[in-house]
Amino acid sequence: MNKNKYLLLVSSAAVLLLLIGAAVQETFLQEWRRLQARARTDEGPIPIQLRQVVNDSLRAADRCVSCHVAMGPGEQGVRGEPVLAAHKPVVHDPAEFGCTICHAGQGQATTRSEAHGDVRFWPEPMIPARFSYAGCGRCHATLGVPEQRQLQAAAAAFERLDCLSCHRVDGRGGTLRPDGGGMEGPDLSRVGLAGYDPGWYETHLDKARTASAGPWRGAVGPSSDEDRRLLALFLSTRVASPMLVEAKSVFHSAGCLGCHKVSGVGGDDGMDLSRAGDKDPGQASFHGVPGQPTIANWQLAHFRSPASIVAGSLMPPVAASDRELDLLAMYVLSLRRRDLPEVYVPPDRVRSVKLGEREFAGDGATLFGAFCSGCHGQDGLGRRLPGVLSFPSIASPDFLAIASDGLIVSTIERGRPGRRMAAWLKPGGLRPAEVRAVAGYLRSLGGVPPEEDPRPARWVTADAAAGRKLFDGVCAGCHGPAGGGGEGPALNSIVLRDSATDTFLVKTIGRGRRGTVMPGFLSATPAYPALASADIEDVVAYLRVLQGGGS
Amino acid sequence: MRASPGGRAALAEFRANLKAAPRRLYESAFRSGAPTTDRSRSTFVFGNVFLHLHAVRTHRWSLRWTTTLGLGVMSASAFLITLVTGVMLMFYYKPSPDLAYQSIKDIHFVVPTGRLIRNIHRWAANVMVVAVILHMARAFYTSAYRSPREYNWLIGLLLLVVTLGLSFTGYLLPWDQLAYWAITIGANIAQSPRELTDALGVTGLFDPGGFQRLLLLGSDVVGQEALIRFYLLHVMILPLALAALAAVHFWRIRKDGGLTRPADADARLAREPAADTYPVFTEAPLRTYHLAAVVRGRTPAVNDGPEHTLPSMPHLFYAELGVLMLTLLVCVALALVSDAPLKELANPSVPENPAKAPWYFLGLQEMVAFSAFMGGMGIPLIVLLGLALIPFLDRETSATGEWWGGPGGWPLVKRSALVGLAAPVAIEAFAIRFGWLREWFPAIPQLVVTAVNPATLLTAAYAAYSVWCIRRHQSARAGALALFTCFLGGFVVLTAIGTYFRGPNWVFYWSPADWPTH
Repeated sequence: MNKNKYLLLVSSAAVLLLLIGAAVQETFLQEWRRLQARARTDEGPIPIQLRQVVNDSLRAADRCVSCHVAMGPGEQGVRGEPVLAAHKPVVHDPAEFGCTICHAGQGQATTRSEAHGDVRFWPEPMIPARFSYAGCGRCHATLGVPEQRQLQAAAAAFERLDCLSCHRVDGRGGTLRPDGGGMEGPDLSRVGLAGYDPGWYETHLDKARTASAGPWRGAVGPSSDEDRRLLALFLSTRVASPMLVEAKSVFHSAGCLGCHKVSGVGGDDGMDLSRAGDKDPGQASFHGVPGQPTIANWQLAHFRSPASIVAGSLMPPVAASDRELDLLAMYVLSLRRRDLPEVYVPPDRVRSVKLGEREFAGDGATLFGAFCSGCHGQDGLGRRLPGVLSFPSIASPDFLAIASDGLIVSTIERGRPGRRMAAWLKPGGLRPAEVRAVAGYLRSLGGVPPEEDPRPARWVTADAAAGRKLFDGVCAGCHGPAGGGGEGPALNSIVLRDSATDTFLVKTIGRGRRGTVMPGFLSATPAYPALASADIEDVVAYLRVLQGGGS
Repeated sequence: MRASPGGRAALAEFRANLKAAPRRLYESAFRSGAPTTDRSRSTFVFGNVFLHLHAVRTHRWSLRWTTTLGLGVMSASAFLITLVTGVMLMFYYKPSPDLAYQSIKDIHFVVPTGRLIRNIHRWAANVMVVAVILHMARAFYTSAYRSPREYNWLIGLLLLVVTLGLSFTGYLLPWDQLAYWAITIGANIAQSPRELTDALGVTGLFDPGGFQRLLLLGSDVVGQEALIRFYLLHVMILPLALAALAAVHFWRIRKDGGLTRPADADARLAREPAADTYPVFTEAPLRTYHLAAVVRGRTPAVNDGPEHTLPSMPHLFYAELGVLMLTLLVCVALALVSDAPLKELANPSVPENPAKAPWYFLGLQEMVAFSAFMGGMGIPLIVLLGLALIPFLDRETSATGEWWGGPGGWPLVKRSALVGLAAPVAIEAFAIRFGWLREWFPAIPQLVVTAVNPATLLTAAYAAYSVWCIRRHQSARAGALALFTCFLGGFVVLTAIGTYFRGPNWVFYWSPADWPTH
């Protein structure tokens, strides 16, 4: 029975060979070992060992520093290949916070693809380097971010007033002027978090006036209130995360909050985006997504054509430049959460969650950009989207000339029941002051003050029965039978009953709305004959019946 | 002070004792001296607590590769490998939902050789399940369950159940999505009697399904309680049970007269040249009988001379160690090629779809899709009962120890394999294409579906076919051959369908590439 002996010999030898192979692989061939072997400090080679940053309260055990050696605690002197390089200076010391809290990825892993999370079954792949600032969103909620134009104006004001000659912001400025007239002021990259002296303007002026020589002399001149408002806005958004603030500003200009909620504020029609950045690539379908199957690419493809990525989506394509789409993708990636120990919850998040401070600025332009522009358009002139009823042109001068502030405010507050327009005065919606700000902004968009209206709210006393005949023949085509709404707005709305005056209705019918399909019925059009004033009043009388009378 | 002569003698004795200590240590451990002769080898085997589970001499028939294919030793070897690697993993594994997943990640990434050890553990576990099933098939096809080995066949069945239990309890421990949802499915299978009690309307009074599930999970959900239960079962209770049962199993082999062999094994061996045996008779036996003679019953040498037996040491041990190392080789090779799975951290709010049980239970899950009670409890119990009854129903003696032995023989096995494979394919194809009672008559009472579904029909078809074989061949063994072969065929087909062809919501798909994206 010698063959049993050979079986034993051959299998044992083969097992031994495999184990030797495994030992060699594990001991010599690991990528991080080879990288560390090539690393040098001034003292010479570094010890080759697994390195990690451990932070128990953040539940981080990040072995990223086994390859990115110089990013580890006390290893800044390590040189060698680019991957070994030190982290650029940041507020959060990687030696304390670890890597994955900001960058995501799989900190426990020790191979490149697994650590970067580009593997199956790891729900949190690393945030792509160009979107790195999105990582801030895991903990931070930057407050009071305005829409794009204002942010740009604020940044421009900061440049124009030459603050950069003394102050350093986001890695720019603060160098001495070539003529020796400048000086090093405090770095303002984080003043949005740290705060600053509210009396800075007077102090600056004083110093510039009293200084007889040196850099202060003539450094600061008087500036307008508007400029100082812009400067304050700019400084409040300096949180050491300029790209994310810019991204958030794009988000607040694209009207997304009209349908989507973020951190409990926004519309109800779309998906809650509060954790959209946590989307697991393993659970996503990348059908129709060009490029790598990453969540960033998924978002980009989704912005461009939502319905072709998510079947049945009613979301309109986002009209924005490629750069803006990139920024939007970055903002969505920043919407991620992790349960943090209390000491690590940053003040801005506390102010947002516990004190109810807004992540968007409170001015009308930002509120309109964030909540209204998705449906009514950036310019307020309405939008027509395929497959969806068109949205009214609310910045039309024809509308603003006859609409009272009361009508606008109550329309925003109460919405149009049964139609897409939600009632915005609600928890998770807008606050009274915000509604007024939006109404004020709308007024400024049209540039038209409301006409004087000496008449009482209800003065029409006409024949509703005659009005009904006219309505059925002329109006019902767009506004629906019984005024329930169709392509045109619903006219049987209780909000119109309560807030629209007879004058408003009569003038609307008589003058129409330029730029929309609503003609002015006082003069004939190719589609409709002209109506007499009395006919229009008949129609209004009938509308009042449709609205349920009263008031 | 001067040493007295007596003191000098004591010192000399002390020095001599010190010098002799290593030799005496060796002698006290190995009393029979170096195992260089037949007799000392026999004494060695007999005097060693571990080795004496073997007879001191082994029949040459038992050492032929075709007799057992080494499957029993392979099962035991796989168990030994899981035991050793499992203990190693226990140094790092933390049985808590908060830490379990992280500790597996650490084992995977930073524990020296941790990934390899875990992979070996996982592969050895799978090899063990396969080997145990094949070992049972070998025992069945060579009629090794026959008298006097009925009892050992039953022990073997228990070992099969414990093996599956060990593998299943290990499945939860990584606490990833795969584990979590597989165990959820497994727990629901345990709850399957509720289908019957619900249909009878007595669940409120008598709920064995709910009790079984509670017993398994220790809670309503898969959580900390379930994890600690599974951990304890996996690392202590089941291994101890398995070790005890295995000891009985091995001991019984010896007590039942070694491995089964044909009545004419000696005659057949006599025709074969024995050149490959050692010249082992290096010393004349001290006594004329040998130790196996004290064993009662049909021992290998009661009536025959020892011509066709060999000393277990070294011949049997070479074979056993050879299979052990071969098993290890298979496990290590697989472990180097393929990592043990580790999906995302368990997340009760994100169900896996499809959630699948471990592969060896996918046949059950396939049947559960038609009827939870029948698939989860009814049919498995019928199968186990049937397997347990085989040695008591087949009391024939012809062709014991022959592969495919018995009336009908290999042609019957082939035909039965065809039936065993074709019947489930046909029934599944019908059910997948046309649906089943619930689709046709939505209001049909559940009891009817429980009684009449593809799984029960398949069982009935197998039973009918076996009865027909008994009548045709006038032999219970023929029926057993037919039924067992059908059972294996059904196991293979249902497991394959459950593994490869079931997608989200347990819908049939030709390939995972066709699964709907979400």
